Amino acid sequence: MKKTLALFLVFLMAVSLTACGGSNESGSSASGSPEAGSKDGKVSIIITNGKGEIATQWEQAAKDFMAANPDIEVEAISQAVGDTVNLLDKLTASGKTVTMAMMAPDSIVNKYKDFGVDLSGEKWNADTVYGVKDASGKVAGFPFSIEGFGLVYNKSVVEKATGGTFDPYSINTRDKLKALFDKIQASGVKYPVAYQTENWSVANHYSTQFLNQAEDPSTIVEQLKAGTFDLASNPVWNGYYDTMDLLASPQYNKYGERPLGKYYDDAHLSVGKGESAILFNGNWAFDSLKAVSGESFGFIPVPVDNNPDNPLNNKIAAGPTNILVINKAATPAEQDAAKKFLNWIVYDQKGQDFLVNQAQIVSAFKNNPNKVTNPLGAAIAEAVQAGKTLPFSSNYVKVEDWGNILAPDIQKYIAKKESRTDLAKVIENYFKTQK
Amino acid sequence: MITEKSRLKSLGNQLFFTGPTIIFFALAVLIPFAYGLYLTLTDMTSPINPIKFSGFGNYKTAFMDTAFWESMWLTVEFVVATVLIINILGFILAFLVTSGVRMQNFFRTSLFTPNLIGGLILGYIWQFIFVQTLPSIGDKLGIEWLRLGWLGDEHLAFWAIVIVTIWQSAGYMMIIFVAGLINVPKDVMEASTIDGANAWQRLRNVTLPLMVPSFVVTVFLTLKNAFMVYDVNYSLTAGGPYGSTTMVSMHVVQKAFSENIYGVGQAEAIMLFVIVAVITGLQVYFSKKMEVAA
Repeated sequence: MKKTLALFLVFLMAVSLTACGGSNESGSSASGSPEAGSKDGKVSIIITNGKGEIATQWEQAAKDFMAANPDIEVEAISQAVGDTVNLLDKLTASGKTVTMAMMAPDSIVNKYKDFGVDLSGEKWNADTVYGVKDASGKVAGFPFSIEGFGLVYNKSVVEKATGGTFDPYSINTRDKLKALFDKIQASGVKYPVAYQTENWSVANHYSTQFLNQAEDPSTIVEQLKAGTFDLASNPVWNGYYDTMDLLASPQYNKYGERPLGKYYDDAHLSVGKGESAILFNGNWAFDSLKAVSGESFGFIPVPVDNNPDNPLNNKIAAGPTNILVINKAATPAEQDAAKKFLNWIVYDQKGQDFLVNQAQIVSAFKNNPNKVTNPLGAAIAEAVQAGKTLPFSSNYVKVEDWGNILAPDIQKYIAKKESRTDLAKVIENYFKTQK
Repeated sequence: MITEKSRLKSLGNQLFFTGPTIIFFALAVLIPFAYGLYLTLTDMTSPINPIKFSGFGNYKTAFMDTAFWESMWLTVEFVVATVLIINILGFILAFLVTSGVRMQNFFRTSLFTPNLIGGLILGYIWQFIFVQTLPSIGDKLGIEWLRLGWLGDEHLAFWAIVIVTIWQSAGYMMIIFVAGLINVPKDVMEASTIDGANAWQRLRNVTLPLMVPSFVVTVFLTLKNAFMVYDVNYSLTAGGPYGSTTMVSMHVVQKAFSENIYGVGQAEAIMLFVIVAVITGLQVYFSKKMEVAA
């Protein structure tokens, strides 16, 4: 009996294996055939959204778009918040052809470098400078959202300390930032900074800022890969860590005595409530801050040195953080339908309303008249309009690698378990393995 | 005499009863496992790209991955700590709640409750305790080792995971031990009492040998759970500070899904499977030999 059972199991496994291979083949061939995407004359497309927090708005947008375009059927799928498995990978592995996928801008030169179609001929390129280029230099990414990071501050706490209205751009040197900390401390706030040390924050965001010293950050990435860029002697690279030392110092930082730990929630609570004044994060921090009170917030640029004329001290890093890319493997009809959806977001009143008013996303497009209500988003939008932005530096590196491979060393540096020269070596060695 | 027909009939009978289970077991475990094995022999960064055959290269990379072995060693330390403490504590608790203390049913229920909370939620609850509650207690009462959050120190963060795991599992093991303790025959205990054995001798020479079947189960469960720990690890420390508490499962997930090296991640998962299968297999084999009949 055992033998027959075993035989049966082996048979089952064999069948399953061949079945797996078979389904993969049929999946890819189906996507190539012209009638795959059409149902009774309709074109049906699949669009994915990686921002789980706007899942309902995304679905509503698809419905509104379908109402305006009855010949297109849109299946809008959203990634669950916190899901680590990539939605595009998941759907593709199950044999579906995703027509248009949302992804991080660095993906189209790394993981999905052969995925997207050329979008450089689209009309919306005239209304934005944020179209994301692929390795061959063609625009392949539709800038869906603009986000930025800097020193988030609680307006009422800072204004109480400085007396009167506070202009965040007046803090354009490290010494001025230190003076601000002292003023805040003098006003009765024991720890002006609540410095949270999540891996993506200290690595992907904070530690890539030095790339902005070049007009085009990718030139520095190229030099690092070639091994010709010396970090330890680079004043900008060192400058950002001098500022980090200030932010994480026991004198000003709430967690200074043990700077590492799971402080994300606590840091946002502290700044939200006004028990601390400043933390380093992006406009998305508002979700964690607003839960606490009706306080208002803004961004201070991260100063790198004591030269008030240095553009790095006067601008905020902001740029596209989510892009929409159209799948090469989709049929031309499907691709056209997806392109229509992009135009709908940019030019249709309902599409503009969806992006900014409903989803509360800072639009990359000049023609969008709406404004986000979230104060941090509004600060980014103002910086974009005033031209006070630097490139969103993490778009130029492989964010997964920075979060996993380099972040532990940066955190060790913060905990004073690794010297800055060692950190420089680790980063340089990492880049040498990236070809 | 078994004829061809009756053999077929019995096979049919067997399939009728076990078939549905086998199908679902195959769908949920066997097929993904076989497909996973196949994936380890390929070079895949994303399902978008065509799969390329790469031989045993992934296993070679996995073997040379020092971070994998570091996280494996950390997991072994974690296994030793949790398996020992959970079983000892679970047994002591079981002994106490069967000794006839007042409200013992209430204690059984409350000690078991943590196990009903999912590991993720448990991790977030304890994160709050370690980051906010304990430091504020330490601050108020001037207890130096509680004043700073535990999760920022690599050794304390490790023990934080151990403590939460113990808190979660000890009650569950206690229930298994309670069942074992209740099944120790009264006559044997009486006989040993009449023979003049004191409480310690009764425990040592009668109860414990008869409890071996329970220990086989609990040690197996705690071993397996400790090797596979992920949820508490993820929600409590997320591998931090500076990657010092990355257990082996988390390392595999990071390799496969975050660094997008599916092949190597899957190969490491297979290696983990083999290690855990061998260790738990040996454990069950040898501890079964220790079983005695009453």
